[in-house]
Amino acid sequence: MNRAVWVFAGLLALLLPLSLLAGRVWIDPFDVAGSGPNAAIILMELRLPRAILAVVIGAGLGAAGAAMQGYLRNPLADPGLFGIAPMAALGAVASFWFGAALPVPPQWSLPLMALAGAMLGMVALALIAGRGVSDGAGSVGSGLALFTLAGLMIASLAGALTALAITLAPNAFALSQIVLWLNGALTDRSWHEVWLAAPLVALGLGVLAAAGRSLDALTLGEEAARSLGVDPKRLLALLVAGVGLTVGASVAVAGIIGFVGLIVPHLVRPLTDRMPSSLMLPSALAGACLVLAADSIVRILPLVTELRLGIALSLIGAPFFLWLLLRLRRGQV
Amino acid sequence: MEAPGNVAARPAIVSLNPCLDAILVAIAPPEQVLALSHYSRDPASSSLPPQARARFAFTGGTAEEVLAAAPDLVLASTFIEPATRDAFERLGIRVATFGAPATVADSITQVRAVAELTGNAAQGERLIAAMAAATRPDPAARPIPTLLWQPGQIVPGEQTLIADLLRRHGFANFAAARGLGQADYVALESLLAAPPAVLLVAGDSAGQSHPLLTRLKDTRVEPFAGNLINCGGPSVMAASTRLRAIRAGLE
Amino acid sequence: MLTAENLALVRGHRPVLTDVSARLEPGTITAIVGPNGAGKSSLLLALAGLLPAQSGAVTLDGRALANLGLSERARQIGYLPQTPDIAWDVAAEKLIALGRLPHGDDGHAAVAAAITALALEPLRARPVSQLSGGERARVLLARVLAGEPAWILADEPLAALDLAHQLNLIAHFKACARGGQGVVLVLHDLALAMNHASRVLVLHEGALVADGPPDIALAPAVIEKVWGVAIQWLGEPGRKALSPV
Repeated sequence: MNRAVWVFAGLLALLLPLSLLAGRVWIDPFDVAGSGPNAAIILMELRLPRAILAVVIGAGLGAAGAAMQGYLRNPLADPGLFGIAPMAALGAVASFWFGAALPVPPQWSLPLMALAGAMLGMVALALIAGRGVSDGAGSVGSGLALFTLAGLMIASLAGALTALAITLAPNAFALSQIVLWLNGALTDRSWHEVWLAAPLVALGLGVLAAAGRSLDALTLGEEAARSLGVDPKRLLALLVAGVGLTVGASVAVAGIIGFVGLIVPHLVRPLTDRMPSSLMLPSALAGACLVLAADSIVRILPLVTELRLGIALSLIGAPFFLWLLLRLRRGQV
Repeated sequence: MEAPGNVAARPAIVSLNPCLDAILVAIAPPEQVLALSHYSRDPASSSLPPQARARFAFTGGTAEEVLAAAPDLVLASTFIEPATRDAFERLGIRVATFGAPATVADSITQVRAVAELTGNAAQGERLIAAMAAATRPDPAARPIPTLLWQPGQIVPGEQTLIADLLRRHGFANFAAARGLGQADYVALESLLAAPPAVLLVAGDSAGQSHPLLTRLKDTRVEPFAGNLINCGGPSVMAASTRLRAIRAGLE
Repeated sequence: MLTAENLALVRGHRPVLTDVSARLEPGTITAIVGPNGAGKSSLLLALAGLLPAQSGAVTLDGRALANLGLSERARQIGYLPQTPDIAWDVAAEKLIALGRLPHGDDGHAAVAAAITALALEPLRARPVSQLSGGERARVLLARVLAGEPAWILADEPLAALDLAHQLNLIAHFKACARGGQGVVLVLHDLALAMNHASRVLVLHEGALVADGPPDIALAPAVIEKVWGVAIQWLGEPGRKALSPV
């Protein structure tokens, strides 16, 4: 177990109880019953599921980011690049129109359609990029380049269709719902969302972990990795399934939350031996810490309404990305 | 006194506002109304009954559609674009604007004004009588602290029509008692920390659809249709019916 | 025995190899030479099982490579690509340990043996970014050796190295051959092929034009025909140099 795992596991253990204190309403941890009516309900039905959801989503996004960077051999990769998150978002937006037609209770139609969107994105990616995967038929590096381009294309297509959906919004109310939801948030989530997201993220994490050793081999390059017995098609399938599940589940319950997958592996890498497989568990833990901390902060910021988590992370993430680019230019990454 | 059947003497009207649409549908003969606003086409935001919707034409609110209909009078809200309003008047089309009524009395005044302008005074008075009857306050009713949670989790202020309706039907404005004003935001946690006796939920944010709202011990949670809040005029009766039903369920 | 039988390879409509056959023996160093674009790298990739042929087959000990499982093939054949393309600044020994992937174990003994064989002991914990070109080349070769493959296929392993490092690496390849492994090297430098390989395959525009001991395969007549230069070999066997006439 490397240092990074201990550091971030310890940090998480510290943040989790602290996050239960964060909110508009002050609850005395040593006298919950005396902190007002419904204080226990606030803790158990609002703050606790929200904290757990933050941990689950952060873990999924962090691990997905580490896996992506390992696969693309590029420290600037982010799960959002692959188009999975925008496709999940498109599915969720489509549920505002077609959700009523599904034979499920209305509150499930959005998450289910978001997952369907993520699956569709995964399948499209595997179909397009899978053909370029090196069986040696293309030039060196064409597999990865095709993968990145396919992901970008799917992302921009999904974004365009979502924008179209926004202009076709039946009324101003639906429009504001869509726009609000696209900026991710964990506000007022419940245990239902936890039961939906947690198993899917756990499954996704398992799938990504299975890809660890193959990602390690990719350190040497595509050809060398294949010479070590790595099956590029299997690796692609694992990656797409793992990222699809973790990111899809996150978008399904919280809307689009970005930058976690980009930032977290960078924080973690210096504390590990830098092999992709060593990064995954610490990235999951660090992602959980990041999202939990950010969500706790947005709950206590004295703004009129809660600052949406997606926006808060973008405000942190964009300058971080810039700093990263500058460091890269100076050859220090 | 106008002749009830003499539609030709009345001005032809286009309405650009959903609340004014509802008043027109209630008091004016369909032949007089050239078009209603596009908001009334959508069942979620309109307060018109479906059979009424089927009998009218609608505009998208653009000036050229209005001009093509060639009305004598356009009814709009006070927020109509100044340039659009000037364009109508340059072309000899009268524009009458109305704000949002702050009380039931205001709404009655508005209905009367619309009736006069459109030459439907008698029908207007009938509607007003129905509104007054529906909103007659019951002095014996004990006011129950109530919070109306609108879309976006905001609450109405004291000087709004819906607040007046709530008062008349025996619901005390809990938000005002807690110092909240018009369009102030109420988070779910804040609500739970100081819960009202009755919570009327008119939106569907995550907090407003949260499962634990079904399990609160001291708070009665009731859904309240959003389109009952937006307008005065005829929807005052539908709102009153709903509020009376809720009140009856509490006793 | 690693055998190519009537290999024909097409890459994007361009024929890269036509009817190439060769039988490679373990315990020897075979050099593949030819002008740029002759198909040397493609032949090596095909022999490594990394590039499927349009017709013909590559067999290992009588079994077609295509029928071997990926791990089995990886255990038998180690491949060293031309350009080192190391994505992450990991410690040398971690990189070397990647060679154990086909075996699915930590293989501490094999890794340690590879480190010792290439004199990398003092460098084992150093991040690769802090290694010189020659040291990095040894680390990457150690990665291949750590897998204990029966065959070592390397694409221009000496190209970017200083003379001393070149000779050093060649000595390691010779040690591998002496130990029973089969070594196949794509080489650019004909003198290195002449002096250190026991067998040379000369490719010209995708076809095998010479196959045999270096004296024969790299005779001036062959070189004039393939490279279009009239040369002569000067010096003692094992220390020959190329000189234009």
